[in-house]
This record gives sequence, C-alpha cells and structure tokens, in this order.
Amino acid sequence: MRKLAAFLGLVGLLSLGLAQSAQDILDRVEKNLSTPWQATVQGRIQGPGGEEELLARVYALPQARLFRVEFLKPGSLEGNFTVITEKEVWNYLYLTNQLVISPREKAKIQGLGFAPQGLGDLKALSEQVELRLEGEVRLPEGVAWKLVGRSKENQGFAAMELYILKADPRPLRFVFLDEKGKVLADLKVVEFKRTNLTEAQLKRYPKDAQVVRR
Amino acid sequence: MKGKAVFLTVLLGFALAQGRLEAGLYAAPPGLAPALEAGLSLEEGEVFLRLAPFRAALGYGGSLALGPLGFFAFGLQGEVGEGGPGGVAYGEGGAGPFALEGRIGYRPKRALPLFPEEGLFGRLALRYRPAPKEVLGLELARATPPRPFSFGLQPGLSPWRLEGSYAFREGATYTFGAGLAPGPYALLGWKGEVGEGGEVLELSLRLGGTNRLEGALFLGEASLFLTLSYPWAGSVVAWLGDLGLEAGYEGAPYAWVRYAWRWP
Repeated sequence: MRKLAAFLGLVGLLSLGLAQSAQDILDRVEKNLSTPWQATVQGRIQGPGGEEELLARVYALPQARLFRVEFLKPGSLEGNFTVITEKEVWNYLYLTNQLVISPREKAKIQGLGFAPQGLGDLKALSEQVELRLEGEVRLPEGVAWKLVGRSKENQGFAAMELYILKADPRPLRFVFLDEKGKVLADLKVVEFKRTNLTEAQLKRYPKDAQVVRR
Repeated sequence: MKGKAVFLTVLLGFALAQGRLEAGLYAAPPGLAPALEAGLSLEEGEVFLRLAPFRAALGYGGSLALGPLGFFAFGLQGEVGEGGPGGVAYGEGGAGPFALEGRIGYRPKRALPLFPEEGLFGRLALRYRPAPKEVLGLELARATPPRPFSFGLQPGLSPWRLEGSYAFREGATYTFGAGLAPGPYALLGWKGEVGEGGEVLELSLRLGGTNRLEGALFLGEASLFLTLSYPWAGSVVAWLGDLGLEAGYEGAPYAWVRYAWRWP
C-alpha cells in the first residue's frame, strides 16, 4: 500500500514536472536561439490550390525580435515574403508588387492553415497556443520533446504539435491541425545554421513596391 | 456658433485620427489651380475628400488582406461639379497566381489636376502567373492612365488601348507584348534592381500605333518618372520624400507641385 502511494506520488510529481516544463523548454529554445540564425522549412500545407508543397527560408534576428520568411514554393507564392517586426507584420506580394503593412494584432492569417509568424518566433507562437509537454520522441535528428496545444484564438488552425530537439533546443517540426484533427500543415526544419544577419537584410524590399499601410 | 463648434470638432477628429493630407498647386494656361486631397483612416478603410477647381469628390476606400496569399483593395467615389455629377468605382488586387485591376468611371468634364479623365473611362487588367518566373497580362483601357496617380498625369495617352503581354524574370524582368491603340503596336519592357538596397529601374517602350517611352527610377526616399510620347507629349515627375514635382507638356506646358502629410 505504501509502495503504491509512493508510486502514485512519483507519477504525480512527474506529471507536474512535465506540465511545468513546456514553458521551461520554450525558455531554453529562446536562450539557445538568441543569436542570428537561418533555416529552411519544408512540408505540406493547405495552400491556395489545395494541398501543396511548401518551401520557405526563415531568417531570424532574435535580439531585435525581427524575422523574415521567404516563400520559394508553392509557385504561386514564390517571391512573396513576410517580415515580422516587434509591432508590425509586412507581407510583400510579388505579383502585385505591394508591401502590405499591418499592426501585429490585425495581421491574423486565415486560409493558409499555419501561422508563418510562428516559424521563427516561438515566443509569439506560445502566446497564441497553450502548449504542454506530451513526452519525448525519437526523430532522425535525435531525441525531441513533443509539445502539443490548442490555439487560444482563431489563427487559421485549432491545434498544433511542436517538436524540439533536446540536444540543441530548437524546433524541428511543426504540425498544425484543424478542429477535427486533420493535418493542415506539416513542416520540417531541414537546414539550420547560425549566421550573421543584419536588420537591413531582413527588412529589404524592392523600392518600387507600393507600400500599403492598414 | 453651433456651426463653428461642429467645424472644430471635425477638425479635432481629423487631427486625432490617423490620416493624410495632400495639398498642391497646378499651373497651366490660363492660370493656377489649387488641389487638395484629404483622407481619414477608419477602423477598416478610409474616407477621402478631393477638391480641385469646380469639382469635388467624396469617397471610401477599403481593403482585405490575406497575409502572404494576397491583398485586395476597393473603393467608390461620388463627384459633383461643372457639367454635372460623376463617379468612379475600382477594385484591384491579387490572390495566389491571379491579379486583377478594374476601374470604371464617368465624369462630364475633366478638372485638372485631380480629375484628369473625361467622359466614360475605365480599365480592366488581368494578370496570371502560370509559372513562378512568368506572368501573362491582358489589359483593356479607355481614356485612363495605366499607372497609379503617384506617377503623375501621364500625358499623351491614346483614347483606347488593348494590350497583351508576357513577362519573364531571369535576374531582371523582361516584358514583350503587342497591342492596339487603335493601330497595332509592339511593347518591350525591362525592369531590374540597380543598387544594393533594392533600388529599381523600369523602362518600357511602345512603338507603332502608339509611340511612348516610359521610365521610372525608384531610390527609396526619391523616385523619378519620365514619360515621352509622339505626337509630342511628355512629363517628368520627381518625388523627394513627400514632395512631388511634375512638369509636362500636352498641347501646352503645365506644372504641378504637391506635398503630402501623413499622421500620426
């Protein structure tokens, strides 16, 4: 009986520990990714033409809370990019040559099935999604923490799974799901490197673009 | 007294809200004409007012943003003035591989510089991106310039224009096209970056049924536009920050100076 109580106590402590550590893991990621980095994100999304392949480059200047996502695939998004600053989201649209600038709170994206903002800025993502640690899984890159959570407000997805590499705390995979658990976007971080980036590089746009402020 | 209070309240409302004001002076024989444009941002969209001698317009412009997928803007303006009422409706934007610009309006008499079109005018332009680096375009326009108002009055336009084009990007963007205006013409275009900071040079040449050279240089804080067409008409426009300077010729010389304020 005493053994069972001790065991239950241990399970309780462990589950408490697990429940607490989602934030702890995100803090570790933030600390680990505090210098400039870039990555390539690849996977499937629900794009303008149904299910499509996504290929994007993510550039991050975490100390300035500045991020840039450049779309390479699907073809209809090639040349488009999103810049996320502390207060604004810039969307450059190649076909109409426009730079649409919205305040962050106005820039919710529907219809893409995932939030491009979150790919670089996990802190912003964790403000929108109530994440908890579900456990550990083995991925080709190594052992990863699996965080799961539900979207606090309508971000174009209802729930998500986030895989964080344990040995070098950074995201490896994002899975965005709808209400029924159907996968809207499954994105893997395939290339990651720490690099030198400047604010000007991340904020660069063609000077002939029509700037639209919303 | 009551009128004064209302006026002051409206003025205060303008000052506190997000808005813009563009004031200018247009000079052409026989004299000078002031022009004023004011816009007040609402939660979604903008209400605007345009005033030039003997014509005034009140309008609403709205937009719909789809993040990295696309953007759509639309608007409506009603006018009163010399010759009778008029109006313009427009919708333009793009989503995924498609882009559209549509604009239609009617005005009994032009009132330069803010109301340059006369009679029934309109434009429909469609663009489709069949492959990432290729864009197909089709445009039909009547008595209206192809470029936004910031490019200036764009003198020397043909009354009608039907144009098809194909553009591909290989470092720079090369455009080939043909059209009717009303005689057949050929189109050649080039656009590319000319500096490290995203500076862009754009050139286009139309020869045949219409003869027209257009150039634009975008440097960020400053932009330059040149239009030259035969029979002789043309203009040079420079934007230095918020100051716009334009000089041109179409039957007679003209000049337009304008300044734009934006707040907060």
